[in-house]
Amino acid sequence: MSNPLRDMEHPDVIFCIGTNMTECHPVAATRLKKAIAKGAKMIVADPREIHLAKLADLHLPIRVGSDVALLLAMAHVIAREGLIDREFMDARTADGEAFLAHVRDFTPEWASPICEIPAADIETAALWFGCGKPSAIYYTLGITEHICGVDNVQSLCNLALMTGNLGIEGGGINPMRGQNNIQGAGDCGAVPNNFPGFQPCDNPEFAAKFSEAYRTDIEAIRGITKVTALDLCGKEEGGIHAILIDGENTVVTDPDMNHCRHALQSLDHLVVIDLFLTETAQLADVVFPATGFAETDGVQTNTERRVQRLRAAVPAVGESKPDWWIVSQIAKRMGTPGFEFESAKEVFNELCSLSPIYAGLDWDRIENSEYQWPVPHKDHPGTPRLHEQEFKNGRGLFKIIGYRDPAEVIDREFPVWLTTGRRLQSYHSRTQTGRSEGIDYLLSEETLEVNPDDAKAWSLADGEFVKMASRRGEIQIKVRVTDCSPKGTVFASFSFASVPVNILTGSGYDPVTQTAELKVCPVRIAKI
Amino acid sequence: MTDQEIIAQWQAQDAPLLPVLHAIHDRDGYLSDDAIRAVSKGLGIPLAELFGTVTFYHHFARSKPGHSAPRVCTGNVCSLNGGLEILEALKSEGATPMPCSGRCDDMVPVLRGDQVLVGHTADTLQHRPTPIPAPNSGGLEECVFRHIRAPQRNTLAGFRATSGYAGLEKAVTSSPADLVALITDSKLAGRGGAGFPTGLKWKAVAEASGVPKSIVCNADEGEPGCFKDRAIMDFDPHALLEGMLLAAYATGAPRGFIYLRYEYPETARSLQTAIDEAAAAGFLGENILGVSGFHFHLRIIRGAGAYICGEEGSLLNSMEGKHPFPRNRPPFPVTHGFEDLPTVVNNVETLASASHIARKGAEWYRGLGLGEHVGTKVISLSGDIQRPGNYEVPFGFSLQTLLHDWAGGPPPGRNIQAVTMAGLSGGFLAGDDLDVTLDEPCIRSKGSFLGAGGIMVFDDSRDMVQVAHDAMAFFAHESCGKCFPCRIGTQRLTERLNGLGPKKFPAWQEEVNDIGSVMKATSACGLGMAAPLVTESLLRYFPDAIELHLSPPQ
Amino acid sequence: MHQVADNTRTCTMTLGGGSVNFREGETIYEVAERHRKEVPTLCYDPRLEAFGACRLCVVEVEGIRNPVASCTTKATEGMVVRTRTPVLDKHRTTLLELVASENRNTKVDSLSGYASQEFGNLLDRYPVRAGRFAGKKSGTSNTDDKNPFILRDYENCISCYRCVRVCAEQEGDHAINVMNRGFHTQIITEFNNDLRDSSCTFCGQCVATCPTGALGDKKALRAKDTPGEIKKTRSVCPYCGVGCSVDILTKGDRVVGIHPAMDGPANEGALCVKGQYAFDFVHHPDRLTKPLIKQPDGTFREAEWDEALQKAADGFLKVREKYGNHATYGIASGRAPHEAAYTMQKFIRATYGTNYIDNCSRA
Repeated sequence: MSNPLRDMEHPDVIFCIGTNMTECHPVAATRLKKAIAKGAKMIVADPREIHLAKLADLHLPIRVGSDVALLLAMAHVIAREGLIDREFMDARTADGEAFLAHVRDFTPEWASPICEIPAADIETAALWFGCGKPSAIYYTLGITEHICGVDNVQSLCNLALMTGNLGIEGGGINPMRGQNNIQGAGDCGAVPNNFPGFQPCDNPEFAAKFSEAYRTDIEAIRGITKVTALDLCGKEEGGIHAILIDGENTVVTDPDMNHCRHALQSLDHLVVIDLFLTETAQLADVVFPATGFAETDGVQTNTERRVQRLRAAVPAVGESKPDWWIVSQIAKRMGTPGFEFESAKEVFNELCSLSPIYAGLDWDRIENSEYQWPVPHKDHPGTPRLHEQEFKNGRGLFKIIGYRDPAEVIDREFPVWLTTGRRLQSYHSRTQTGRSEGIDYLLSEETLEVNPDDAKAWSLADGEFVKMASRRGEIQIKVRVTDCSPKGTVFASFSFASVPVNILTGSGYDPVTQTAELKVCPVRIAKI
Repeated sequence: MTDQEIIAQWQAQDAPLLPVLHAIHDRDGYLSDDAIRAVSKGLGIPLAELFGTVTFYHHFARSKPGHSAPRVCTGNVCSLNGGLEILEALKSEGATPMPCSGRCDDMVPVLRGDQVLVGHTADTLQHRPTPIPAPNSGGLEECVFRHIRAPQRNTLAGFRATSGYAGLEKAVTSSPADLVALITDSKLAGRGGAGFPTGLKWKAVAEASGVPKSIVCNADEGEPGCFKDRAIMDFDPHALLEGMLLAAYATGAPRGFIYLRYEYPETARSLQTAIDEAAAAGFLGENILGVSGFHFHLRIIRGAGAYICGEEGSLLNSMEGKHPFPRNRPPFPVTHGFEDLPTVVNNVETLASASHIARKGAEWYRGLGLGEHVGTKVISLSGDIQRPGNYEVPFGFSLQTLLHDWAGGPPPGRNIQAVTMAGLSGGFLAGDDLDVTLDEPCIRSKGSFLGAGGIMVFDDSRDMVQVAHDAMAFFAHESCGKCFPCRIGTQRLTERLNGLGPKKFPAWQEEVNDIGSVMKATSACGLGMAAPLVTESLLRYFPDAIELHLSPPQ
Repeated sequence: MHQVADNTRTCTMTLGGGSVNFREGETIYEVAERHRKEVPTLCYDPRLEAFGACRLCVVEVEGIRNPVASCTTKATEGMVVRTRTPVLDKHRTTLLELVASENRNTKVDSLSGYASQEFGNLLDRYPVRAGRFAGKKSGTSNTDDKNPFILRDYENCISCYRCVRVCAEQEGDHAINVMNRGFHTQIITEFNNDLRDSSCTFCGQCVATCPTGALGDKKALRAKDTPGEIKKTRSVCPYCGVGCSVDILTKGDRVVGIHPAMDGPANEGALCVKGQYAFDFVHHPDRLTKPLIKQPDGTFREAEWDEALQKAADGFLKVREKYGNHATYGIASGRAPHEAAYTMQKFIRATYGTNYIDNCSRA
């Protein structure tokens, strides 16, 4: 997030797109509710009538995967109505004129049939957003899990840049991070393109820095992504033959489950570290028991870049060990130098010494959770709000983006849009929530949410099991008839192992980030 | 009309909740779950909150027969006059009791649908107009009742024939500030009981920032033993309208509301007639009397049965569709009233008085009081008295003269044992303390207050502990439940007047005094502060009766 | 929540005999709290709009006849306030006695909830005489509500409406409200249904603010009879990226409950159903307790650490020997702490010299 969580109580206009915040980030959503109670206006763009949409002043039930068209048309209206922040654009951005010229053709009338919403609503959303002082954008995986995920994000950046809503209280462009430490995994360099602290791998200067620190020779080339790696599993030529997985149930949470399972099965060597014998761990050659929440001392970074301490409250269950210890022990046995860590503190302090955004931090300084990175030196108070003075790379760049269809679109064979997501009461593959007493009382099974009109047209009854198939596979799922789903679109989460929705997904990947298009998957639904 | 049509009719208007609920309640006789869901959605009120608010009001039924079932007044006076028997007789028709419904000068009222029937027995219930105030036998000059007995005074023509709207016509020839000065100069003060100077209130609203401002007439006459506002509205409604118009002119408020208690359905109709007449004649609407920018629109908001809604914070919350708890003060309504905007909240009698003052002048009004006292007060007299009714007396007037000379004294062969003050809120006066004059300084010196001017008389045949119990049970029934001392205190005091609690007098007295003193000192509004005056005065005047209550003879 | 802007004027008042500074807009209660006057209250929660219901916080203000509720009264320049006098103490004692008289239990287990001891503690602080003001009890417990998280023991409810207000003001769910009036008030959902059938999201905020334990944490109360002291450890919720601060409650070696951290920067006392109640996985029998090694028949056997670690390392060495550095990949977790992600990426980079590392953010 560019802005701190507390800023969520201060926007004038809230624009939520592709975020089911009341279910996926409920505590953050409480802040938006407070802003609304104080008079803020909220626009929610989401195909489904989620709870957030019910709280909104304007709900735009866009067709799945049509975000870019909506955002282009909003930019068009903002430009046409002279709602741009000229001063901000002149002082802090680049390529603005080209962008303004670009959006001239993309009227709400153009976007309306693509997004399947009235042009007048697009107009209203744009006027509100353009007039908000400030207007803030919130998004989640509904924006990124598309083949055009990067385009979606950049389209949102364009909106924020043209209206000067960056670097100010209550504004910003704010992705809500999904997992407790997904931000931290990036901070720590567990990505193929960056070393810790977002220092690019393909920059020889940083490759040299880490080669020296790690006493080895690290190539100054980006690594492959997980998606590519899974595609290469077992391949003779340039294939991947061994994987170390720490705490991820890849088989259930990743798209195209059958492909994923097959990939992991084709490895020579798979080692998994986890709390439970997950579907993924079952495929491993060796499984290590890790300590989890309440047993582990450590650090994690939240969605607002706040670096916080985790503390062990109970002894480790059984013989389980912290992940860092397990990884270090393997490394040591392989003769890799630099793994003589005795404590989480030593690991974290080494990270701080190599990461400019953590340079001002160490284990003892984060005791009270008051720092939000970047914290470049010990006298720095941290950075609750990004881009207040200037952008990291100088000027905010407008990007010229065009609309394109999802990887797969509905057709005669697969005439229904499936979109996937999460539910309040369960977390991911339920390895934790599924093992906590009482959660079943609230949510005991997965269902497919179907619009009442569709249910009627397809002769489906509430509670009936159906077959749902995509180009990649087929599952059985129970129908729940609800207004929440728009006509022609159905919804399910991937949380329940008994309903492996990700057998169906995986139609395409964003070319830049290789994020899978989990939000769009044409399917057909048939009675059993 | 469907729920949706009803909601659509009101949702763009101010204060839509009560009108919508009433429309549905009138249509179905009760408020169904589905209706409440529809209203919640239509008006954007969270369902649980709306449900809670609906349950707050005495008269909103949640099942049939509800609206059409008889509701029988079992107030302090009516329970002595056959109310309990009528209730019992009508049980088979689904009759339920209701607290004092403001007709203590008549036979026992029974509310059925939107009609009030009166009678001494269930068999003889009849519909008839409310009693008109009798001329006072002292021949003293009146203010509020000056023209109330004039023929057709409740019509626009009759009102105009007796100088109606002349005060307003005079006022608009001068500035709003002049009008505020006139009212201030008259020393008119709030006649609902609080006695706040009216001129000061209007001035504060005139000077407060925030628009649109509002004039709210508090016609939720819920105090037991008070029925004066009913008489004014039934027989002189245009005087109230004129008072509100004066307030509107003085403050620049374009919208007005009369918050009328539920138990006055006929008054609602006659007021509406008056409003319609006034609007047709151009006294309501835009550019009134040709004065550019003098706009005033007036609506009736019917309450739904909650004494606390006579408290101005509760009243405003009720209008806004919120749970009718009192508001914390400050801020006061003059700056943060209806919708948190500047608002005049005045009682009916106050506003009616203003209409006469505007015409006759400040000096005239001040001169109506006796001695150093200023102006008049309408007293609602009921109970064990030969001629119950509304009497307008000058401040400083002798209570004994009112009771015996004007109202004919107690029934033959009886003596007056005690009277209540301020309806029930002032507790009792008895013995030598009946020799008071009717003005706040004198009544307050006896530990009571005059308040809204309701006086109930109890003769020497009455069990005063029982009377006190019924009074406290009323307060417990009407306590809103927000502040602890009142919510628990009224309950515990009621129990102590009903045989529960300590059996020995000193322990009983200690508990009752402790509860009373914490209620008086810490309650959040007047209800909790006033309720213990009942037990306090009972202890003062009738300790023997309490002893008898605690240890009845074997 | 009542917030006073930083730039307001500084004023002076007399509080309990001493002169103190305050910022214009602060309430008397806020000033008194800051100066540790320990003004008692039951309906106050600093996160909520002051309500003025319990009247325990009344103070004497010179020039005003009746005591005023300090929580709803703004401090003003030159105000002279007394927070403790014999009269105030007497009123407070009487009020507490009245409140005690409507409840069945005045002592509840502290596992009931974060604020559950407030009422009991106040009873201990004042010379409350047991059994005074005996009479009817208020509130009807909703024992029919079978939800597994929130105990609704309204027989111990004192109608302070903190639960109603926190649900509306903090959580924005408006799931509960108050039915009826006076002594018959009762906290309810719409139409007095079960919580599951209302807009309740089981965030647990109502439980955390309840000062009497009328609303109790059913999960934590499972450990009521477990011997041992309750220990609190500050940590961060293991679920989404918001990063809510929590206090983990433990008895002996077991996690028994979670309290929201009122001073947590991300959540300021809020949690959701997962963070509040979904912690049983920690001690779940499915937890792996020993390393596992896959056997030729495809089943696992438990192994000692040394053997398993060596087997893991040997497997990686073998693949490197056969296929080189670009044949091994690391997938780090978005769920594990920094130390896990850091050592994972270091393992790949330092062992293989490649950047063949990723995490689950692409899922």
